[in-house]
Amino acid sequence: MRAFRQLFLAELRIFVRDKLTLFLAFLFPVMFILVFGFVMGGRGGAAWSANLGAVVAAGPDSKALNDVLSSTTSIRVSRFRDQASLEVVLAKRGVDLGLVWNGTTLLFLYDPSRVQENYAFEQVASGISTDFTLRRQGLAPLFSVEKVHVGKKAATNWFNVVVPGILAFTILSAGLFSVSGHLTAMKERKILDRLAVTPMPPTALLAAVVCVRLLSVYVGTLVTLFLSVAVFKLSFDINWPRYTIFVAASTVGMMGFGTLITLVVRRPSSAGNLSTILMLVMMFLSGVYFPIELLPSVLRAVSRVFPLTYMTEGMRYVTGVADMSALRFWVVTATFVAMAVVLFPLLARYVVSADRH
Amino acid sequence: MRGVLWIARAHIMTALREKGTLFWFIIFPVFLLVLLALMFGRIGNVGEMNFDLGLVNLDTASSTATVDFAAIVERAFEELGKRPALLKEPLFTLHRPSSGDDAEAFLKGEENMLRLGRRAAVVVIPKGFSEQVRAHAMPSSFSGSTATPASPAGETILVYYTKGSDASELASSIVEQVLARVNQEVLAQAGLFRSQETVPVETRFIGGKEIRYVDFLLPGVILMGFFTNGLFGVPGAILFSRDRRILKSYWVTPLSVGRYLAGFSLGHLALCLLQFILLALLGRFAFGARVSFAQPIPVLYLLLGALTFMAFGFLIAAVVRTANAGMALANLLNLPMMFLSGLFFQVGGLPSFLKVVVYANPVSYLAEGLRTSLGIGTGQFSETLTFAVPLAWIAVCVLIASRRLSWDVVR
Repeated sequence: MRAFRQLFLAELRIFVRDKLTLFLAFLFPVMFILVFGFVMGGRGGAAWSANLGAVVAAGPDSKALNDVLSSTTSIRVSRFRDQASLEVVLAKRGVDLGLVWNGTTLLFLYDPSRVQENYAFEQVASGISTDFTLRRQGLAPLFSVEKVHVGKKAATNWFNVVVPGILAFTILSAGLFSVSGHLTAMKERKILDRLAVTPMPPTALLAAVVCVRLLSVYVGTLVTLFLSVAVFKLSFDINWPRYTIFVAASTVGMMGFGTLITLVVRRPSSAGNLSTILMLVMMFLSGVYFPIELLPSVLRAVSRVFPLTYMTEGMRYVTGVADMSALRFWVVTATFVAMAVVLFPLLARYVVSADRH
Repeated sequence: MRGVLWIARAHIMTALREKGTLFWFIIFPVFLLVLLALMFGRIGNVGEMNFDLGLVNLDTASSTATVDFAAIVERAFEELGKRPALLKEPLFTLHRPSSGDDAEAFLKGEENMLRLGRRAAVVVIPKGFSEQVRAHAMPSSFSGSTATPASPAGETILVYYTKGSDASELASSIVEQVLARVNQEVLAQAGLFRSQETVPVETRFIGGKEIRYVDFLLPGVILMGFFTNGLFGVPGAILFSRDRRILKSYWVTPLSVGRYLAGFSLGHLALCLLQFILLALLGRFAFGARVSFAQPIPVLYLLLGALTFMAFGFLIAAVVRTANAGMALANLLNLPMMFLSGLFFQVGGLPSFLKVVVYANPVSYLAEGLRTSLGIGTGQFSETLTFAVPLAWIAVCVLIASRRLSWDVVR
């Protein structure tokens, strides 16, 4: 226990002094939150809150069109005098899509560089043209459609749903890089050789490194949460006991996953590169930012084997922005713990004990 | 000149032999291009998306009526639940109660599935729907009269969705469009809607042409490759050579710092050219990119990009003492510069303090200048500015590097 305490304090000092690790643990997620929060402005950038620039020529049908525009709830309308001024603002992203009615033809204008969002804007345009066609003929829809939100109250903001995903990504990044990378670097610098001739048990070192990183990840997620609440006025309904358990379980699970990488790729730089690729793939394919449903079926299948998919799901659940069955939550949590239990002894054996020979 | 070429060759060979450099140089940008093109290249295409949709018809009593409107709505979704072609995906995977199931109980289950994220949306056709539609809208249009529904219908189809979930919001938006088309179809069947009077709709992309995602992505990935190359490759090569005393061994030969620098820069530019060729070929032949870089202005931007990021690398090498510190600084700069530049997504809505970073960031100007010169969208900066700002950065970096970069020369 004494060895563990000493090693824990030593590791804590090393962690605090290492500026790059500190950056990755605390500033990296904060930067993600800031950039995504401000860039996306709390919306998915998609059509359900699209800014539409409209030029409507006066004429017999202009009232019908204006009625359609004012009754379409998924758009905010800005008026323009002519098409040229609308195009200038559209090019500068002052509006998301443009509409020009010259009395005979309905023209929709899009910014070609918004390739990821134009599909959603086309849905809005289709709705407007259908409704206008009916009203122009003096008809009204035979039935109306009402959208009803089902789910957690905290989930009503796109950014609220994204933040737990960013927290999950932070845990993944810290878990993958931290323990295995740190121990491999110690091994490369022959520090483990020196520790091996002392009575220090390898498990005490492993436990000290894990505890320090676990603490840093937990504090890091709290800092990120606090920032998102303070700056972006987001609200979460956090179940603290489950939050703590899930952060701890997923962190140790990812540390175990990092161990697997270390065992496959022994050099820290190569392990770092492999982790970077894995993190990038997982970030895009695990539903953190982009809905999995929009991906091709092959990539959707791939996303189901990534731990980040389940970490994102779990973090959304414990922060109160999404539902999850209790059974599923505990199975996912137990799986992460099992990953750590199975893989940590391998790390102790291959990375620490191996140097005793 | 021979010395310069020798150093250039040595730099290229070292980079290509070094796994780490090769990773950032070739593997990472290629991987990013493949991943993003696969993900977003076909977004919105028929047969590429699939949403789990609950469809619950509570209006089963109307199945014996003259016109079963609820069944018409169901059929519209059934059509979208079929595969459009072999190896293509249906837009919706429908979840409906089996015959004999209690529809109300099934609906509760579907609501729960929506809450758990297993459904993108649930469409509910209420009890008495057909009767209400018939009674409200056209009391006799389906039996010979020509009454016209001019006021909104009293009957409502409910679409349950999860606000804030991208998939659910998009799915519910598509459902709304499907139902709007059903409205039109039914009105046309009743002889009320004159399809020949449908409003003509045109679609136009500003700048005159639609851009395919891979054409938008490719210039960004190429610049990102140059960027990581300059940011990590240049200080890495110089500082590791200095730390390992390789530079010192050069200075015992007749090689001057100036000639070493010329050779190093030449080698770096050759590596950028190699990277560009590889990515451009991959983009064209694997993903069908049509964007043409073989024009004077895009070539100028590419050259300017390679030079700017190389100068940045020299700046990093100049302000740190060790290779490890250099890599740490490069890591610190990498993400903010890449994200706050519009390289992969737009940065229009930033607050002033972050806009300062965007406006000071040379990547912003190079990304926009290159894309605009290739005809991919229009930019917010003038062409002069897209050249002037990176050039100013080169001047500042070279000035600082020339004063502070230690070449470890002890002659």
